[in-house]
Amino acid sequence: MSIEERVLQKLYEAVLNFDSTAAENAAKEAMALNMDPIKAIEEGLARGLREIGDKFERGELYLPHLIMGADAMEAAIKVLEGHMTQSGLEAINRGTVVIGTVEGDIHDLGLRIVSSMLRANGFKVYDLGFNTKSLDFIEKAKEVNADIIAVSSLMTTTMPFMKDLIEALEASGLRSKFLVIVGGGPVTEQWAKEIGADGYGRDAAEAVRAARELMKRKRGSAP
Amino acid sequence: MTSPNLWEVLDRACNTGPVIPGKDFDMKLFHTVTRLIKEHDIKYDPNTPVTSDDGLADEAWKAGRELFEEVGSYCINSGRVIKFDSSEIGDGLRDLRGDAVVGDGAERRVLSLRSVEDKRPPSIVCGGVIESDFPEGENFVKLYQSIAQEPFIDGFYVGPPLHTSEGRLVRSGTPLEMHSGKSMATWVREAVRRAGRPGLHFISACTPSIANVAASDPIEGIRRSDGIVATIMPELKTDYENLNKVTFAHDYGCVKHIYNGGMIGGWAGGPEGALLASIANALMAVMVYKINVGSSYNALGYLRASAPNYSAFVTRPCIWGSSIGSQALSRNTKIINTGLAMTNAGPGTEMQFQEMAAAQCAAIPCGREGLSQGARRFKVRPLLGSGLENRFWSEVGYAMAGVKRDLANTIANSLLAKYETKITRESDGGPPGYTFDEIYDLTTLKPRQQFIDVYEKAKKDLEDLGLEFRN
Repeated sequence: MSIEERVLQKLYEAVLNFDSTAAENAAKEAMALNMDPIKAIEEGLARGLREIGDKFERGELYLPHLIMGADAMEAAIKVLEGHMTQSGLEAINRGTVVIGTVEGDIHDLGLRIVSSMLRANGFKVYDLGFNTKSLDFIEKAKEVNADIIAVSSLMTTTMPFMKDLIEALEASGLRSKFLVIVGGGPVTEQWAKEIGADGYGRDAAEAVRAARELMKRKRGSAP
Repeated sequence: MTSPNLWEVLDRACNTGPVIPGKDFDMKLFHTVTRLIKEHDIKYDPNTPVTSDDGLADEAWKAGRELFEEVGSYCINSGRVIKFDSSEIGDGLRDLRGDAVVGDGAERRVLSLRSVEDKRPPSIVCGGVIESDFPEGENFVKLYQSIAQEPFIDGFYVGPPLHTSEGRLVRSGTPLEMHSGKSMATWVREAVRRAGRPGLHFISACTPSIANVAASDPIEGIRRSDGIVATIMPELKTDYENLNKVTFAHDYGCVKHIYNGGMIGGWAGGPEGALLASIANALMAVMVYKINVGSSYNALGYLRASAPNYSAFVTRPCIWGSSIGSQALSRNTKIINTGLAMTNAGPGTEMQFQEMAAAQCAAIPCGREGLSQGARRFKVRPLLGSGLENRFWSEVGYAMAGVKRDLANTIANSLLAKYETKITRESDGGPPGYTFDEIYDLTTLKPRQQFIDVYEKAKKDLEDLGLEFRN
């Protein structure tokens, strides 16, 4: 194993062990070796976080592990960012997502899972939490130049707020600028079609797949 | 000494509890749970969905209590932690009376503490429909009439608000939602009147507190012998809406019904962590929601957060946790604890009956008082729910009284083997089932023969496994 391979392995293991300090140190080692930061992320950190995501899918790891893994990755990325060009930063981003639970709905556990799984798959995520108004989604999406707005609902009585979001986007002439993905306990694919959403996720894994598929279409090739 | 009263609890929740970020609370809970699982040697055993291990139940109780004492609970609106010391928790548990009176007149019932393998039948079996999504008006009345006419049902749950109110779409937090709460209570009263049981107890699960306030009326609405559902969110969390419900129920003097459970795959981790969280949640029901005051009872369930995202309450790890949680609370507290279950399969299917019976295995033989919420399938469509599954809850509930845990374990294992492989992403969790008007002849309000046949076959299969039904 070369020195570079050893450092990549350290980055991978640091994330897999939820160790932010080790991830930060491994990132410093990578920079001392003049490693391409994108390589450090893709072949080290992201590989670890994807493995955590796969284990979560299989029921072997849980929500706190997703969060701790993402924290470790973010600690390392803070070190790497200082060595990256703007185009490099953009290249590692599979898409920017503004995510939250709709107005009137305080359920956030599924939201945190989807949010963490998106991060694990290379998306830049702005999590607005629960009880988020349509206009707040739109304002944040404009502010961060998001690709996707992802909204969840766990109650039939809050599902109509998803429709409101799409209508508000249409009314403000922004519908074509942002892709919209919906999901949550009572939300069905049929509902997603009825309200004109671009994508639907029955669970976290499907939400990630939908986001990747939409970004692929948006960018015209695999992200 | 008595435990801190509701006003002191609200002061901690709103004014004086330490403020911390939600993520810090969640991660503290996770790290504490992880440590306690090791210290108390709690291990998930998939081969024994219903355990007979008293020692395991007692260790789980100790660990759950330590968890609640160390972490406390969290109010998401104020960001404040509501904590209690050991002595306050001890006082709170001592304040529990061990019974709860519900219903009115001829339908008055006393819920009482049941022990593990208790031979007495559960004194109440609450059925109902969750996420009913029923149209307002006559069909809604008929649905609850079909439940109320079941003789062994002593009360029922009335699900979240209707889809429409006065023909208009109901959105959360709007005046139409408040009005739908008032309408629902009126229609439920009409349903129990038509069934000849005007005093029958029900619990209102209207989402906003204001809808419950609007629906409360000693004659035509939520009576003092009825209940208001308040929820503990995963894990150990509350908010002002739920505290409003508790405070109103306290002031009005009606029954408090607390809905909570451990979330497998969520902040507490795996099945072992969810078990400890569920016990801590029940302690929160005592200390924060004050089920030690007035007539109150608790409902404990298990959800699964990790993929595949189905199977609330009735998968193998959920039944394992539910059986131990039931025994832990029955053996160590005077909490009146009922079970709840949501199924993967829809009404009128063999699989739903199997899931319901498996859920009962972890409830009645393990010291619970009954079932307090009905069957619900995820991804509901309109009109899913009927009296028939509530008849099944009650019949199986009575048959389970006196059943030894070993037999319950055998039955649960056998049932799980029949349905657990059907819970897949491809099947959307299981068969969707049939609607109320498909299952019942709405003129006579009797189930159609096709569904009685499915019902009788499910009973026969349980008899073959050793369950004895009342004749």
